[in-house]
Amino acid sequence: MIVLDTALSNNLSKVTKVNIIFGQLIQIVPDIFEFAFRETVRNSVADGAELYIEIVPVIMKCLNCGNDFQPKENLFACNICSSTDLGIMQGKELFIKSIEGE
Amino acid sequence: MEIKIMKNILDRNQNKANEVRNLLISKKVLMVNIISSPGAGKTTLLERTCEALGAKFRIGVIEGDITTDRDAQRLKKYNIPIVVINTEGGCHLDSNSISKVLDSFNLDNLDVLFVENVGNLICPSQFDLGESFKLAIVSTTEGDDKPAKYPMLFREAVAVLLNKIDLIPYTNFNFENFSSDLKKINAQIPLFEISCTRGDGLTEWYKWIEDKVRDYPLRR
Repeated sequence: MIVLDTALSNNLSKVTKVNIIFGQLIQIVPDIFEFAFRETVRNSVADGAELYIEIVPVIMKCLNCGNDFQPKENLFACNICSSTDLGIMQGKELFIKSIEGE
Repeated sequence: MEIKIMKNILDRNQNKANEVRNLLISKKVLMVNIISSPGAGKTTLLERTCEALGAKFRIGVIEGDITTDRDAQRLKKYNIPIVVINTEGGCHLDSNSISKVLDSFNLDNLDVLFVENVGNLICPSQFDLGESFKLAIVSTTEGDDKPAKYPMLFREAVAVLLNKIDLIPYTNFNFENFSSDLKKINAQIPLFEISCTRGDGLTEWYKWIEDKVRDYPLRR
């Protein structure tokens, strides 16, 4: 819907590419998402658009020492001070970054 | 031509969830979003909790089910307001369906609203319903690998209930593995080891949830 609304408000007659960002924590399978996307936009201006999915890694901020780090798989503790007082800075994204069209 | 959007795909869900959260804060109703696999013991936990705390607090329940109202039928005997949301195949509840059914409750007469989400460990953890917090239930018969396989849920939840601990002798469930995987993902999360049928550990759970209800929304 966001894609179609944006295409409409920018007077695009055809959407050629949709750029998506997923965070690693979201656990979305790109193939399944793509299938759902294709079905949803069938017979719309985005029918046939290329789908580009970028998966961004988890980045956490240590609330104790301020260190930004990429945790090893399923080990959520600061790699400098071992604190577990953490904020998730990146990894929960589910964004439409941009669309391309004419 | 490229048009920048940078919009959350679940934008509408998030906006509605924020509305729900603000409404519940203004009405001083704690909402607990209960997430587990099918059969982990969500409904049984609610039965025990209604029995133990029904006289202390005004409890309401939203039952999310793909189809049928069987879970709601089990809770009928406690004379509490219950609303069923049938997702008709959907694997999770969303904030819009919650928002619609909130009208069926008299929120001025409620202290806590338990939402029993559809049995599933993935999708429900992505959809903010406007809850005060998420609660994860795992049962020992599912195996000890659930935290490692579904880190998002165990990161998002504020407490974990490990149910069916009475059945551990009949399974290959390894508590050390479970607990160490969980602590790696969320070191500070409280873990309650319970058996809803035999009663183990429930006193600690009642005490914890009582404190949460009582302190809400002062300390969150």
